[in-house]
Amino acid sequence: MRKALLLAAREYRASVRTKGFIIGLVIAPLFMGGSLIAYFLLKDRVDTKDKAIAIVDRSGIVAAAVVEAAEYRNANEIHDKETGRKTRPAYLVEIIAPQSGDLPAQRLELSDRVRRGTLHAFLDIGPDVLHPGGDPEGSRIAYYAKNAAMDDVRGWLTWPINNHLRKVRLVEAGLDAEAVQELFYWSGVEALGLVSVDEATGDIRDAAKASELQALLIPIVMMMLMFLMVMMSVPGMLHSVMEEKTQKIAEVLLGSISPSEFILGKLLGGIAVSLTTSAVYAIGAAVAVKVTGLGGYVPYHALPWFFSYMVLAIVMMGSIALAMGATCSEAKDAQSLNFPSLIPFLLPMFIYFPVAKEPLSSFAVVTSLIPTFTPLLMLLRLATPEAIPWWQPAAGLVGVLATTALFVWAGGRIFRVAILMQGTPPRLSHIVRWAVKG
Amino acid sequence: MHAIELEHVTKAFGRTVAVDGLNLEVPKGCVYGFIGPNGSGKTTTLRMIMRILVPDRGDIRVLGAPMDGATADGIGYMPEERGLYSRMKVRDLLRFYGRLKAGRDLRRDVDRWLERLELGTWGGKKIETLSKGMSQKVQFIATVVSRPEIVILDEPFTGLDPVNAEAIKDAILELRDQGTTVVFSTHDMGVAERMCDFIFMIFKGKKVLDGTLSQIQEQYGSDTIRIRCPEGAEALAGLPGIDKVTDFGQMQELRMTSSCDPHDVLTTVVSRTRVQSFEITRPSLHDIFLRIAGPAAREVNRA
Repeated sequence: MRKALLLAAREYRASVRTKGFIIGLVIAPLFMGGSLIAYFLLKDRVDTKDKAIAIVDRSGIVAAAVVEAAEYRNANEIHDKETGRKTRPAYLVEIIAPQSGDLPAQRLELSDRVRRGTLHAFLDIGPDVLHPGGDPEGSRIAYYAKNAAMDDVRGWLTWPINNHLRKVRLVEAGLDAEAVQELFYWSGVEALGLVSVDEATGDIRDAAKASELQALLIPIVMMMLMFLMVMMSVPGMLHSVMEEKTQKIAEVLLGSISPSEFILGKLLGGIAVSLTTSAVYAIGAAVAVKVTGLGGYVPYHALPWFFSYMVLAIVMMGSIALAMGATCSEAKDAQSLNFPSLIPFLLPMFIYFPVAKEPLSSFAVVTSLIPTFTPLLMLLRLATPEAIPWWQPAAGLVGVLATTALFVWAGGRIFRVAILMQGTPPRLSHIVRWAVKG
Repeated sequence: MHAIELEHVTKAFGRTVAVDGLNLEVPKGCVYGFIGPNGSGKTTTLRMIMRILVPDRGDIRVLGAPMDGATADGIGYMPEERGLYSRMKVRDLLRFYGRLKAGRDLRRDVDRWLERLELGTWGGKKIETLSKGMSQKVQFIATVVSRPEIVILDEPFTGLDPVNAEAIKDAILELRDQGTTVVFSTHDMGVAERMCDFIFMIFKGKKVLDGTLSQIQEQYGSDTIRIRCPEGAEALAGLPGIDKVTDFGQMQELRMTSSCDPHDVLTTVVSRTRVQSFEITRPSLHDIFLRIAGPAAREVNRA
């Protein structure tokens, strides 16, 4: 054990003292979780440059209502009420008289204006839009823009157009639009957690508002963090063993330590590196939680599972990485084996979203109990606001422990045979034979 | 009690038998040389002694006991190809290797050895900045710094210039004088002749020579004539009773048949040329090596 610890300490120092580790510590979370966090932080931030929109209203009844709605919006909805800062673009609506007879030419002319940038988009409203039914072309409302499908303006226009058309239809039906105003009231469904009892006072505590942050972002960030911890240590083990083999350091070490101590030292070193990384991120997260006041969203009950699964995942995948590294005689062998050796651990990255959305579904339960998926998927489920039955993470832990023991045993057997072999990389059949027969 | 004992040790890789029923006894406190052609089983034998490879059959005892972790700590091992962490500093690396074996910090011993091998100013430099010769000396220090009772060196002189080779040779002999048993393999027959108390030759996995240089030469008798003459090898062609003429340029070595009379040889050569020197001697280790493992011997073996 003494020698394993000594080797682990060397591995640890060799890893954390490199510039690559420091850079990776900063860059990796930015790459892995940055885009997700950026989406949630920036989803309400839009380009505030005003947008000119032309309307060709061949029905003659819609354009004025759109202009009125746009003016109301520009006056009331595009500035932050507290700071007065402009947060959204103004929509500047220009009514264009329809050219009788040569509709394509008019559309081309307006399209050219959009291309030149003097217009953001234009709207072509069919003459029969009030009473659709006969000719679909006549009741068509067409929105022309450079990126029409993803354009927020198109979505906004739907409301004033339809609202106005409904009012006109009510009037035509002999109803007073003002009197039936409530017909247009849209009732939303508010997302809340569950009502509970305050253990200190015994009072019934109202449910907290449920948010995307709590339901989706935090579980995914925790899962990504686990992924990051494993990815920051396991591929390094494969490369380090390959390097020690090709540079003949392994033979020197094996003159002093047994293969078991060799593997144990490597795994302990990898775990120490990941614990250091996770400690850095935990301190960063604690500071961020304090600053942002988001402490209520942190699933503290999942943290012990995070560390347990992380250590086991590193040992489980690290054993395979060490065995694969021992079979390599060149750097290119290691490069080609790096990804395949991690596939059992990486697959959950392709299926995590449905698990995060419905953590209690059969699919989520079954996939999170597959031992190599458990560290990522069970953690993801545990970090959601859903109450996961206690036996599921426990059963997952037992499965991971058993698989880890199997991987360590098989990895050790492969390692012992392969570490001194030179020349052509072994075939898969050889590796399987070494794992089975030693 | 011997430092190392091998009994009927056999090791095969697939169908290739690398070491075949090997028996060997290495006395304590001596310099023991392993010689043999490439692929003959030297490195496999050394790796089995170090427990890096496990023999298929037979027993290996080191310092009177089967090899285990504690015994391994008493052996310093330098493999044929050097293994040093290129990005570590020299002193840190030596302390790391020393601590692995000795279980304690050997800073003072490290510094003493660095000075002893004229690497004192390089202690703070990274391994990757060292020349090949310096790296080899660092590897040697890593092997001996923990003061092991047995030192095993696989090809310790390969790639060294004469100055560095001399430094390593002196260090090995000093270790021997202090009671350390030194086992090393070499392809340099001159080194083996000059340094080794005992020489062991392995060929095709089997022991073919084992003993002191005198004992080995004794087996072959005084069947060799070393001769110097102005015409060189040309004047020695077709001499009766001579098996083989080896031309070393300035000197020629003649191997006599068992019935050959050296006086007849001298008479014939004198009749052909002026003889500058004529010596009847025992064969060199180099010659013995070639007789066992050279192309002619292989032809005989194949036949």
